[in-house]
Amino acid sequence: MKINRREFAVLGAGVSAGLAMPAIWTGARAQGQPIRVGCSVSLTGALASTKNSLIGYELWRDDVNAAGGLLGRKVELVVYDDQSSPAAVPGIYSKLVDVDKVDLLFSPYGANLTATVMPLAKQRDRIIIGILTLASNDRLKHDKFFQAAPWGPNGAEDWARGFFDLAIANKLQRIAIIAADTEFSKTAAAGGKRVSEAAGLKVVMNQVYPPTLNDFSAILRNLKAAEPEAVFLCSYPPDSTAMVRGLSEIGVGESVKLFGGGMVGPQYASLLQTLGPALNGIVNFHLYVPEPTLKFQGIEGFLTRYQAIAKERQVDPLGFYIPPFCYAAGQMLSEAVKATGTLEEAKLAQWLHGNPVETIVGKIAFNELGDWTERRVLMAQFRNIAGNDLEQFRQAGKQVVLDPPALKSGDLVPFAKARA
Amino acid sequence: MMRTGTFATIAVLLGAAGFLLPQVVANPYYFYAGYVVLQYIVIATGWNILGGYAGYINFGTSAFFGAGVYTSAYLMQAFEAPLVVQIVAAALVGVALGVATGYLTLRIQGVYFSIATLALVVVLETVVHNTEALGGASGLTTIGPPPPAWFKGQTQYVFCVMLVLALLAVVIARWIETSWLGRGFRAIRASEPAAESCGVPTLRMKLIACAISGGIIAAAGAPYPSYAYHVEPVSAFGLLIALNALAMPLIGGTRSWMGPVIGAVLLGTIQQVATVTISSEYNILAVGLLLIAFVVAAPEGLLGLLSAVRGGVRWSAKPARKPA
Repeated sequence: MKINRREFAVLGAGVSAGLAMPAIWTGARAQGQPIRVGCSVSLTGALASTKNSLIGYELWRDDVNAAGGLLGRKVELVVYDDQSSPAAVPGIYSKLVDVDKVDLLFSPYGANLTATVMPLAKQRDRIIIGILTLASNDRLKHDKFFQAAPWGPNGAEDWARGFFDLAIANKLQRIAIIAADTEFSKTAAAGGKRVSEAAGLKVVMNQVYPPTLNDFSAILRNLKAAEPEAVFLCSYPPDSTAMVRGLSEIGVGESVKLFGGGMVGPQYASLLQTLGPALNGIVNFHLYVPEPTLKFQGIEGFLTRYQAIAKERQVDPLGFYIPPFCYAAGQMLSEAVKATGTLEEAKLAQWLHGNPVETIVGKIAFNELGDWTERRVLMAQFRNIAGNDLEQFRQAGKQVVLDPPALKSGDLVPFAKARA
Repeated sequence: MMRTGTFATIAVLLGAAGFLLPQVVANPYYFYAGYVVLQYIVIATGWNILGGYAGYINFGTSAFFGAGVYTSAYLMQAFEAPLVVQIVAAALVGVALGVATGYLTLRIQGVYFSIATLALVVVLETVVHNTEALGGASGLTTIGPPPPAWFKGQTQYVFCVMLVLALLAVVIARWIETSWLGRGFRAIRASEPAAESCGVPTLRMKLIACAISGGIIAAAGAPYPSYAYHVEPVSAFGLLIALNALAMPLIGGTRSWMGPVIGAVLLGTIQQVATVTISSEYNILAVGLLLIAFVVAAPEGLLGLLSAVRGGVRWSAKPARKPA
């Protein structure tokens, strides 16, 4: 069969168009496709109480999409359940990066889960926002990691430093340090001891207890005998509950003016409701409380919307601890994308390192490790808690911020007086 | 029983195919998922030597796995030991742990032995929690040297290493099944007093079973620090490992080396797919439902079911028995 020049040209053009079509189609499709943001969330397992973080991400996505999306494209979340298991995380993040081809990443919740994804993020040179992780980038020093939580620089040792600063500011001389026998608690306790000794405070008791302990009567009696003025307690929800109950039953002695610091548990509605007035006087860390000094742009509207969804999904009804920081993690990404006009991760990281971001949890600036340049962990004192009604915790004046000074909403009331 | 020549050919071909895979498959995700399935082949095969062949149900698989994980992680951290050394050391620790556990517990039988193995998990996890050199509760970050260039990535490398371990575990299990050891284990499983009266050194045989089983399971844990880059006690001593180690041989069949392999491939794949499709919480549900289904409908596992369907054509030379 012979073909003439015209037929050859038509045939050539047809074949060329056919070969080029997949590329043209894919390119056009990519332009119209949503921007995919991927992460794992602990929907099941030991950390399932943190699954309300998903509401934070969803509300951010909805707000961005309602405002027209990013770079003219909708934002889509790709979320998998990591079962609270670090073993599941590497596979999930490989799926997100290699199969789902997500554009941007949030880390899983907490340090142990995030530790398994950081090497992958560094190897692939991906931008990743850390969700309440602690010291996750200290070793790898990945230049595209950014922290969504306010632990500040040297967070592993200093996240609870506000408590010790309060003791020093209130001229308390004798301090007791009690920590659960876990790395998180012991590191904070060691940091606190260092700060106390540097400031000339006398550490009258320094005790580590097994994480399974649920009877604190012996420790409380030893505390009474040691007559400290400040007691730093670094505990987990079951032991926090046992200690607070022990305080009501046995007491801690008249000498104590400042008690608490690093108790995990009273950040969540379930424990607040259970312990109620027994919390009065305790000064404990938190990341957000509804005080007038923390009226950041958009936080109240966020919490109103969160609380409606939380009721429906039967998760933490207050949502002060994690969800606002997940929303803020999204804002960090969207602000960087808007400012740079690109999804190129090197440019996004460069912009985030160089510019503070306005979020619903305040203005955030990052240091070279991606941690906040300023520690903004709150030390708040429970006051005037009456009964077990959860509604009271939505009001100002129930968790008064004592530290950091810039966000302070009141002064320390001595422990015994606040409980009277 | 598959002929030795055929078995060896298939094993060599699988090994070669696995080592060529990084050159053919570009997407690392399949190696992540494949690693987990292969890891369970090793664990299930190791478990089956004591639980299936000798009939001693071990609920403490995660203790052996965790011991392997931490041996490897410690050697990597403290001495920058290469992966081969980590695996050998982990296997030796597993053997020692198996012998020690066996010696202390094998005089008790049946359900009491199983409960004692559970205690081992609690003991080891508590030791790790309280040992600073092992990272305590927060664990150890374990970033080793880059893998050989051939593998094109760390995940591909640990996948191939786990493939070799899986092949070795299956070879050992098959050898045991056909050797004097297997006959001794089967005698113990059928009736320990009868075996003893026939001259089978039951205590020694059980110690050997514990040692081999422990060594294989611990070796399965050794590449984990290189896979996950971080080890901590909750994952290393996790319930899911013990549950899968038990479920996979039961689903595949405990009488033959092929049973744990089939169970691990089937259940491991279902779990990997469920994690990224339906929901992870269906993982444990899937294991539970499959276990119930097999206990009720096919107590001899898939291989037993197949034999029954074929009307007496057996995979192994042994007659099918009711479970002990």
